[in-house]
Formats: sequence, C-alpha cells, structure tokens
Amino acid sequence: MEGVHLSLSVFTRQSIFMTGHPRTPKRNRVQILPLLLAYTFCVLAPQIAFAQKNSADIPTVSNVVAIQGATIVLSPGNSIEEATVVFRNGVIEAVGKRATVPYDAQLIDGKGLTVYAGFIDALSQIGVPAPDNTTNNGQQQQVVDRSDPTFDQAGITPQQEVRSVLKPSDASVDAFRKLGFTVAHSVPQGRMLPGEGAIILLSGDNADAMVLSDEQSMFFQFAGARGVYPGTPMGIMAKFRRLYIESNRRIHLNEMYDENPAGMVRPPSDVVHEAFFPVISEKRPIFVFTQDALQVHRALALQNELKFNMVLTGLSEGFDTIDKVKKSGVPVALTLGVPAKPEWAAKIKADSLELILASFNDDTRTATFRDIEAEKRNLEAKQLISRKQYLDMPAQFAAVGVPFSFTSFGVKSTDIASNLREFTASGLSPDAALAALTTTPAGLLGLSASMGSVEVGKMANLVVSSGDVFDEKSFIKYVFVNGQKYEYEAAEKKEESGASRRRGQ
Amino acid sequence: MNLLLTFILAFLTLFQQQDQEQKARQGTYAITNARIETVSDGTIENGTIVIQGDRIIAVGKNVTIPPGAEIIDGTGMHVYPGMIDSGTSLGLTEIGSVAETNDTNEIGEITPHMDALTAINPNATAIPVTRLSGVTTVIAEPSGGLLPGTAAMVNLFGYTAEQMQVGNAKMLVLQFPVKRTGGGRGGFGGGRGGFGNGAASDPDEEYKKALDKLNEVWDRAELYNRIEEAYTSSPQGKVRPVYAPEMDAIRPVLIGERTLMVKVDSEPAILAAITWVKERKIQKVVFSGVSEGWRVADKLAEAGISCLVGPMLATPTRGSDRYDRAYSNIGIMADAGVKVAIRSGESENVRNLPFNAGFAAAYGLGKEAALRAVTLGPAEMFGIDKDFGSLSVGKKANLFISDGDPFETATNILVLFIDGFNVPIESRHLDLYKEFLNRDEGRLKPVEVLPAGN
Amino acid sequence: MKIKLYITVLGLAFVCNTATSQDVLIRHATVLTITKGTMTNTDVLVRDGIISEIGTNLRAPRGIEEVDATGKFLMPGIVDAHSHIALSSVNEGSSPVTAEVTMEDVTDPYDIGIYRALAGGVTTSHTMHGSANVIGGQNETIKHRYGKTDPDDLRFLGAPRTIKFALGENPTRSHGRRGSQGGGGIVPATRMGVEQVLRSSFENGKRYMESWDAYEIDVKTNPRAVSPEYNDRMEIMADILRGEILVHCHSYRADEIAMLMRVLADFGVTKITFQHANEAFKVAPELAAFGASASVFADWWSYKMEVYYSTAYNAAILMRNGVLTSINSDSGELNRHLYHEAAKSQRYGGLTDDEALSMITINPAIQLGIQDRVGSIEIGKDADLALYSAHPLSVYAIPEQTFVDGKKYFDRTTDPDDMRIQVSPTASFSSYETQITGKDHFHGDNEILDFEELFGVVLETTTSTSTSN
Repeated sequence: MEGVHLSLSVFTRQSIFMTGHPRTPKRNRVQILPLLLAYTFCVLAPQIAFAQKNSADIPTVSNVVAIQGATIVLSPGNSIEEATVVFRNGVIEAVGKRATVPYDAQLIDGKGLTVYAGFIDALSQIGVPAPDNTTNNGQQQQVVDRSDPTFDQAGITPQQEVRSVLKPSDASVDAFRKLGFTVAHSVPQGRMLPGEGAIILLSGDNADAMVLSDEQSMFFQFAGARGVYPGTPMGIMAKFRRLYIESNRRIHLNEMYDENPAGMVRPPSDVVHEAFFPVISEKRPIFVFTQDALQVHRALALQNELKFNMVLTGLSEGFDTIDKVKKSGVPVALTLGVPAKPEWAAKIKADSLELILASFNDDTRTATFRDIEAEKRNLEAKQLISRKQYLDMPAQFAAVGVPFSFTSFGVKSTDIASNLREFTASGLSPDAALAALTTTPAGLLGLSASMGSVEVGKMANLVVSSGDVFDEKSFIKYVFVNGQKYEYEAAEKKEESGASRRRGQ
Repeated sequence: MNLLLTFILAFLTLFQQQDQEQKARQGTYAITNARIETVSDGTIENGTIVIQGDRIIAVGKNVTIPPGAEIIDGTGMHVYPGMIDSGTSLGLTEIGSVAETNDTNEIGEITPHMDALTAINPNATAIPVTRLSGVTTVIAEPSGGLLPGTAAMVNLFGYTAEQMQVGNAKMLVLQFPVKRTGGGRGGFGGGRGGFGNGAASDPDEEYKKALDKLNEVWDRAELYNRIEEAYTSSPQGKVRPVYAPEMDAIRPVLIGERTLMVKVDSEPAILAAITWVKERKIQKVVFSGVSEGWRVADKLAEAGISCLVGPMLATPTRGSDRYDRAYSNIGIMADAGVKVAIRSGESENVRNLPFNAGFAAAYGLGKEAALRAVTLGPAEMFGIDKDFGSLSVGKKANLFISDGDPFETATNILVLFIDGFNVPIESRHLDLYKEFLNRDEGRLKPVEVLPAGN
Repeated sequence: MKIKLYITVLGLAFVCNTATSQDVLIRHATVLTITKGTMTNTDVLVRDGIISEIGTNLRAPRGIEEVDATGKFLMPGIVDAHSHIALSSVNEGSSPVTAEVTMEDVTDPYDIGIYRALAGGVTTSHTMHGSANVIGGQNETIKHRYGKTDPDDLRFLGAPRTIKFALGENPTRSHGRRGSQGGGGIVPATRMGVEQVLRSSFENGKRYMESWDAYEIDVKTNPRAVSPEYNDRMEIMADILRGEILVHCHSYRADEIAMLMRVLADFGVTKITFQHANEAFKVAPELAAFGASASVFADWWSYKMEVYYSTAYNAAILMRNGVLTSINSDSGELNRHLYHEAAKSQRYGGLTDDEALSMITINPAIQLGIQDRVGSIEIGKDADLALYSAHPLSVYAIPEQTFVDGKKYFDRTTDPDDMRIQVSPTASFSSYETQITGKDHFHGDNEILDFEELFGVVLETTTSTSTSN
C-alpha cells in the first residue's frame, strides 16, 4: 500500500488546527482523527471498494497490520496458538507468540481465529472471462477451409498471454478470493493450446498489477475446435506432436542462421512455433488439463515420447491411473471438483444408503423379471461406490506418497468448500488438504521463496478463518493479498453452502 | 461345383421343364417321402404332401396322389411351412441411403391412413433374395411419427398388392411415446461442463405432451367413430360428417376389426402402453419390438398381450445388461406365458429371420417354440391361422423343401411354394454368383490381367 | 470402512491379476485347429500364455487350472479385421487426408463392447479409423484383455502397422458433397477426385521422402544443410511407400478396386487388403493376380448405391478364385457372432467347415500380419482360444469361455451380468440405450458425426481445391 498523499490543503488545515503547540517544523505527526474527519477526497486504489468495511474515500493510515492472539498455521502440521503475525507493505515482518507489534500497526484481534497461508490455485481461469459469443458469431461469417484452418480457427494460440485477456473486475476474482485463494496460476480460455499461463494475485486494479510473473507455462488440453482440423482427440495429439517436432527443428535452424546466415534460406518463423521454443530449450512446463483417465494416459504418452516438462492437472478418474502417474514422477494438480450426487440418492436418507451398500453383491444375476428389484438395488450401490472413488482420490494419492496441488479449473467456486469437505470426510487429512492448497503449489510454481507458508520475509497472503478452515461451521473473515485486506461476512458462508447443495453438476 | 447348384439342377430336371428361365406355376404337386414339420400336428416321417392350386389338399404318411401331379422326391429332405416375419420394411425401401427409394416414413406425426400395402414394390430386388431363405410372408411396416400408418402382411410372391395380400391382415401402427432419459456413459467432466449440456426441455414435460397428444388423437377418433356410426346407421336429416381420413384409418381398431400394433421397447414405455391399451379398451392389440419385455414379462402375460419380438441379433438395451439379453429376451417372455412371434426388423436382410429364430431357440426359447414363433404363432395372432402358419389340409400352400433345419446356416432351401406357386430358386445374388464364379470361362484367349502380380 | 471394502471388491474383480499370461489345461475338447484339421477328445496345454502341447491324455502340471471341455468345441479366438470398438473417436473427418492420426492414441479400454465381443469368441480386433477420408488414420490391432484400464495393456505388441484408406461414397459424401448442407465442399466429390487425392498424396509423400533422404546424405558432409519442413502426414505416406505400413482400403465398386490397384502398382506398394469390397467378386482374377486380399461382410448389401449390385456369395467366389478372404464385422453387434457370419458362407457358396472358419481366424490374421501369433491352434502360438457348446458353425452354438494369452476373460457361467469397468456416478442407470442391430451398417452421416459433435463452436466452411496436405 502506498504512503498517504498529503495534499496542501491538509497542511493548511493542520496549521489551522494546531494552536501554539511546539512542533517539529515540516513533517508533522498527523493526528488520525482530524484526518478522518477532514479528508473528503482520497486517491486510493479502488480495490478497497471490494472490502466490505473499508470505504474508498477514507485514506489509509497504516501499512502495517498485526493480527494478535490467533492460532497461526505456519505450514501444514505446524501451528502455534495465541500468536501474532505482523506484516508491513505486504511482507511478513514477524510471526510468533512473542512477535513485536510495531507502534503504527493496525491491530486485528485474532482471538478464536485461525490464520493460514493464502491458498494458491495451481491451474485456473480466475480473472479470465469467458470468450464473448458475439465475436464468435462474427467469426462465423468468415468461411474457412476446414482441412487447413488458420491457427486461430483451430484453437492453436500458445503465444497468447494471459495478461492481455485478464480482467481484474471479473466476478471470479472475488468469488475465489473469498474462499481463501490469494494467488492463482491462470491460463487463457480457448481450445487445445489457449496460451501461456501467468501467476496472478487475486488483487489489483489492472492486469499489470495482478500479474506477478508471466511466461510461466504453456497450457494444453484435449479440446478441439469443432468442424475444423484437428477436431478429434487423435487429431489433437497428432497436431501437438507436429508442432513440437517442427519447433525443435526450427530452433536448430535458427541457431545456425544466427551464427552465420550466409547462404541460408531464412528459416520459417511464426509466433505459434516460437511459443514452443522455451518449452523445448528451457524446459518451461506444459500444464495439461485432463478430464478422464484416458486423457491422463494420452498426456503421459505424449510426454514420454517428446520428453517435455509436464504438469498433469485435473485427473478426474485419476484413481485408475495412480500407479502410472506415480511411476512417471510427473507433478500433479488434482481437480477440486466432484461428481454431483445421483438424483435418486439425494432423495434418500444416509442410513438407507448404507443399507444399500451393505447388501451389495458383486455377482448379481438378473435371470427374469423376478430379479428386477434386486438388480436396481445393486446398480444403486454400484453408483454410490463409483462416486466414492472420486471422493477418495486425493486421499489415495496422499496414501501412495504422491504430493499434489489442487486446481479449480472447470469447477464452480460455490462448490469448492463443500467439495473439500467431502475430500476430508473421505480420508484426506486436513494437513494434506492444506498442503495441496499452499506449500505444494508454491513449490510447483516456483514461489516457495515468497509464498505458501506463514514465515518472516514471505508475502503477506493470508486467510483468516473463524476456526478450522475445513470445518463446515467456520467462515472466512479476512483474506489478505499482498497485505491488502479483504473482509467478508459470515452470512455469505451460509449462502455459499446452501448454493452448492442446490447446484447440480 | 457347389452343393446348392447341384441340388438346384437336380430338382430342375425332375420337373421335365426345358425352359431356360423358370416361371412360377401353380398346378398339382406331390412332395413324397419327406420329413414333414407340420407345426400344428407334429412331425411326419416319410410323409407326402399334395398341393393343388393354392391349397394343401393332403398331408400324411399314406396319401393318395392325384393323377398328373408333378412328383417331387423328398427323400432325405424336410418340408416346413413358409416362415412369417412379423416386422420388416421389405418392399417399402430399396436402398437405405437413397431417399427416393424409401417409402416408409411420411411427413407428419399423425398419418395412420398411410397404407403400406399399396406402396410395397412387388418387384423389389430384396424380395426374391429374401424368400430363398424360406421366408414366404412378411409384415411390412411404415415408420416415423406417432401414428406412421397401416402395416400389411404380404406374401413374397405376386405382381400386385391384390395378389400379394394375405388374408386382408392389416395393422394400425402406433409408436408409443417414450420419455427421453439423460442416460449414457459420460457423467462427470471438468472443463466442458459434463452432464446434460443444457438440454432444451424437460424430458418429463416432453413425455407428458406426447402422451397428451396421443390421448387427444384417440379421443377425437372415438368421437369420430360415434359420429360415423350414427350417420351410417341413419343418414336422414344429418349433416354429413367432416372428411377425416386419419380418423377413418383408426376406426377399424376402435370397432375391433383391426389390430393395433404398438411399437414399444423400453420397460417404462411397455408398462405405460399396457395401462393405456387397457384404459382405452383396445380389443385387438399386439406389441412390437419389446426388447425389454423380459423385465415385465409377468405383466404382459397377465394383460394377455401378444408380442412381436425382435430382432434377436441386437446388443443389450442397457450397459449393465447381460450380454445375451437380446437373444434370451423372447424365451423369458414365453416362459412367463406371453404369446410371441419373431420379427427381424430388417429391410434388405429379412432373409436372416431364421437365424434370429435360431439364436432365440439356443438361448432359451427352444427349437419348437422358435419354429412356432415364425409360423403358426403370428398366424394365430392375426387371425389368419385358418389359411396360414402350418401344414394341414385346406391351408394355403406356403411351404418349402430344405435339406436340413432351416435355422441352420448350412441348410439350403431347394424348392419354394408361395400361394401354391412353385417359385423359382432365383435371385440377383444367385445370378451374380453364377456369372462370376468363373468369370472368364467363356473367353477363348485370356487378356493379360493388369496390374500384374507382385 | 465398508466402502473401502466394496471399492477393493470392484477393483479386484477386474484388476487383481496383473499377470496377463497364464497357464491352463483344456481337456477332451474337439479341437478345430483350422490349419491342421480337427481332432476329437484332445487336450491343449497352455504355458505362460503360449500353446505348448496338443494331444490326448496330456500330463497336467501341478497346480494348473483344468477346464473339462468334454462335448465342447475349441477354436482359435476370432480375429475381427474391421472394428470400431474400444475407440474414443473414429473419424478425423476434417480433411480428406489424415494419415498422421492414429487409433493408437485413442484406444478406450473401458468399452463394454470389448467384453461383448469376447462373449462371441473374438480375441483380437483391428480397431480402425473411419471411412470419412480417402486416406484416413492408422489403425490399431488390440487383444481383448478386458478389465485392463491402461490402453497400452490392450495393444497387440508386435502387430504390423496398418492404415485406413476409403474409396467411393463415404469420402465423397464427407468432403465433396457437404455443399448441399450449407457448408463448402472439398475435393473429392467424385470417384475421379478420389483417385487424384490418392495420386497426389503418394507423389507428395514420395518427394518428401526423397528430399529427406537427400538431406540425410547431404548433412553428413555439409553441417549447414537445411532439413526440409517436418510434416507428420507425409512421414506416414513415406512409410507406406517404404512398405512399412499395410494398407486396408474401404471400397465397394469393382472399378474403384481396380483403380486403387493401378495406383498402388504405380507407386510400388504391393500389399493391400480391400475392406468390405462388395463388388470384389467382379474383379476376383485381378485381385488374385495382384496378390491383394479381401475382408468382406457375410451378407450386408443394398444399404447404399455402391452395394446394391452385390451378392452374399462374394466371399465364396473370392476364395474359389484364389483371393485370400476374411469375413469381418464393422459392427459392435455383428462382432458378437462372427462364427455365425462365417457360417453363412456355407449357405452362400458351399464352403467347407475349415474354409468357413478360416475366414475369421487364420485369414484375417494373415491380412493383419499376425499369423505367426494367432489364427490357428498350433504349438507356439498365443493361447487365444474360445470354447463352444456345439460346433461354432451351428446357429445353436453358444460360446462358453474365451481366453486371451491363456487367461480367461469370458465365462458364461461365472461372469456376473453387469460387466462394466466404469460406472458413471451421475448417469441414470436405468436408461434405455438404442440397440445396435443389423441396420447399423448404414453409416450415413454417422460416419463423421463424432468429429462434428465433439466440441462446441461451428465454423462455416468453404470450397478449396487443395487435394492433399
């Protein structure tokens, strides 16, 4: 937060208010109260408008915040009680039971509250609005040769930067921030190669303010552009291979040409292939989003063949691929999404569901019409068991020792809190869940030096919850992004859980 | 030289006919010393069957053969009633992908007056191809829409609708409304928003609308019936009823003169249809398709509804179903007491009806019941069993001679009688076989075959 | 927790046995070897997935699983030379030439169709690209190791590479005649266009191969030699020219069959299997002279104009004229009773038992280049076997057990009804699925449906005269 701008009028008013007190000449100590009363115009960042309790027209008076007497989870499995954390200008200055609170700190009573490191989303589209449909219609006027479309038409835009499409006022920013997310690895919207990912803060009034660092990654997903090449998964894979191999060839050509162009035809060049150069030469990672087990296998196949640096994300149905993923050593970011409860199950009490499971017989035969009811019970049980596999998945990855981050890609923000609770109810330890939201993604994205835990010197990205953040009864009271405070009401939390129960898939 | 051709030639010589092309003829024939499967009266070993005109005049072990009859020596052979396929679009379509040759599907949801009988092409190439398998009679059905039209049963020999029609057997086809299910294998997926990508309308609502429409049509048909009856019984002083050919087509069902053929396959649709036909007091009704009939076989039996089941050669209706469900479906229904017939649902491969029957037999129905389901069973269902469906005196001469069980692929049909006509064993398939088995044998000096071998 | 138990049960049911090859001793069967006659009351011993002994009263190694096959018939597992099961997608129909895509990339081991075919005695399937394109993608030969969830576990390791070509109405409809539906058409719209697409693709492939060969030589002495652009499509065309990929061509009319033989001869490609080839019987001598083989339907006809003048006697005529012939399914329904389809060649052409059975065993194996491994019951071959209640050529025969590499994957008496590996957590499980029946062969616009239905936005398309690349 920038220092307070003192206008000339303030000085003038100060002079008027101050009567006969000996003062140090130029720089006067400013009294907070008169300032609050007197100030009508303020040049402050509009992001304050999001914070519930701070009004935009009230000047900031302190760049230091101290949360006192709270339980502070320094990192998963490592917490201290009745402690204090102090951060100035967005950097943590002190943490501990006996941390010194500076005189100019804004004080927040942390009694009964728990402080966590701010959550990091390993792959998301936070801040990236959905593409405008009207422009697509405009594009439809233009005719294309579907066997040979332009890169744009085929959804191949790996050079696209998130910065240029980032919209700080997009609803997703606040929606995820109030869940505790402070930083995200956002990628553009698109088809198979939408563009480059950037690390963004969930705070800032323009794209440049939000972007912490771009050129972080290449994003790839198995989504073809309908009606043109490549339109199918095998087409996508073939196209990807071709782009990669041809880019590699061009790197060598460019090296030769740069060294000595004499007699050489100028190597072909375009932004699409150039986007692959850092992936090939500097091992910039490719984040691949997968929606089912087969896509995981296909991503691993491509990686095994072309040997690029890959991060697997999504992995719904990843339970069938755990061993292969573990063996590959590829870093993983699991989806925060879970399948909706089947319609019939939503109408039945929990203990009836237990009964259905108890009578499950893997060997059912339905010989005639007399066995129809038994068949139905069995199919119901199978469906419950199937759903359980999705809920158990993060716990299973933890159990085999594969560290993972979480990704919100493709998941509605209103579902995330309840989904996390379903994961923890299925055996994922809260520590592991927290790690997947903090330390592991920080490590994955190369941010460990400044984020992921509550430590002196790290960025003040914090989540302050009214209790255990994974508990249904808790709500998030504050979120700090780079020291910027966002305050939230408890009521929203209730509405949130109601909404996610109502919502289907 | 293959077995079939040998047999054909052998039998041709027995007829003392020297014509290059055979012509179908009625006359007096006696098939002697054959194993006769009557269906109605068991098996007759070393039996004789005598045909005169379009009828069977004698069948038994010791039978008087009229003088002048052409004798066909059936030693070692089998005689069966001509098979009946209770559901096809044979004759109504020539080439599936060429729209101009398809006459099964007229525009409009409510077209019960579309008459399949007169639209059948008696010269469809598939007709001779079909009858060589022993199928002599089929039901040809219109399709598409709620009330696609009126189906008809026809013999597979004849040059006009009048010559082909069988006992005036016609059925009004009703495609019973079905509720759309979300279904399928995909349920959960991240980015694409998975399940049910913004379905246009609620399936329950759609279904209700469709059912309401059916009831509305039927209500109106009933009203029309009352009006027509009142008018025809005493027209004096009454305003002439409006012209409504659709309602005219439904009338015969309402007054119990025509069978309603309800096309249903899924369990909920079958149950809804059972309730509906009961509510509407439909006097003559059969269900057609019935691929999930096994699930509600007891209800079908209880309601006394006959079923035209098939095809057997199809995949199960549910991913969780046993793999052989379509084969065993009909057997389970028969066990529960449902009267069944077999349909192939085919257009150009109705000749596979006997194989559908074979699979039905193997997977639970049994050979005897399977044979009945393609002969006397459907004949009884449509009230034509006085003339068709079995080999007994007085019935029409629809039958064939085979060298074995007609359900077995190795069996050949050697002689065919439809309506008493001795139909030649000829079809374009056989013609092509004869021409191309040894394509160049007529050529004196061979032309070099290009491109040359590798 | 109970849930964990049930999940383990589900998981174990399919995945417990990680070993894919096993031992088994099948006793007292009537063994139809296909290549070496029929033996009654004979035992077959399988060791580590390979047939190791065939004879009477074989000695049973300790601990081996025994199958009493008294009164039953043992046949090699059926090889289906034309199938589209176990694939996430079939047609990359956006371009008339897509040699670079491969079905290997989209194998789907979860498909229940794999099991249903096992229940019909099929153990190997040639899963193919669709027929929307003149030069389609590469195919993948798989074994029906149902229950494995890793696509790699289904691969028929060592099977030669193959590729799909298509002639006639399907590619001309998919590309040239789309104009009638508001989109633009691309060459080919006629059979003439099909030939030119083939010729230009081969010629471009040839020049690509030559330019890379020249570069490989040049770069040895000149480190500053510049390589030609990498083109994966042309790489495959070059591989075909080198004889490293077997061509399987969907075709119907006699004239187009002859056309392709001329084109292949012009480019020095010697191996070709014509798929479907309903009119192949009209050019049987030419096929025999070329050394081409055919993989046909038992009796499908008349669903399109190009199959109107065909005959069910096709397979028999071809065989009698010296053309290596197989019968395939091209259907997720027909592949469940290919033994019955093969039997039709006895009615339509009077083939002997062994001839009929060879159409679904050793002949398709030869066409796929895997005849050293499967296609007959011989010592040293893979133990891909199926047991039937009666002679498989009888309509009453019921397949009872099917083995792949000696491991039993289908058992009529012990398998539960619901054999799905993957159960959707949300879909309604009582939903009725439209059955695949004999009407399935009219591919129509379904040929390119999966390509167009897969992803969201539609773009208008236009006419282009480009014939390749």
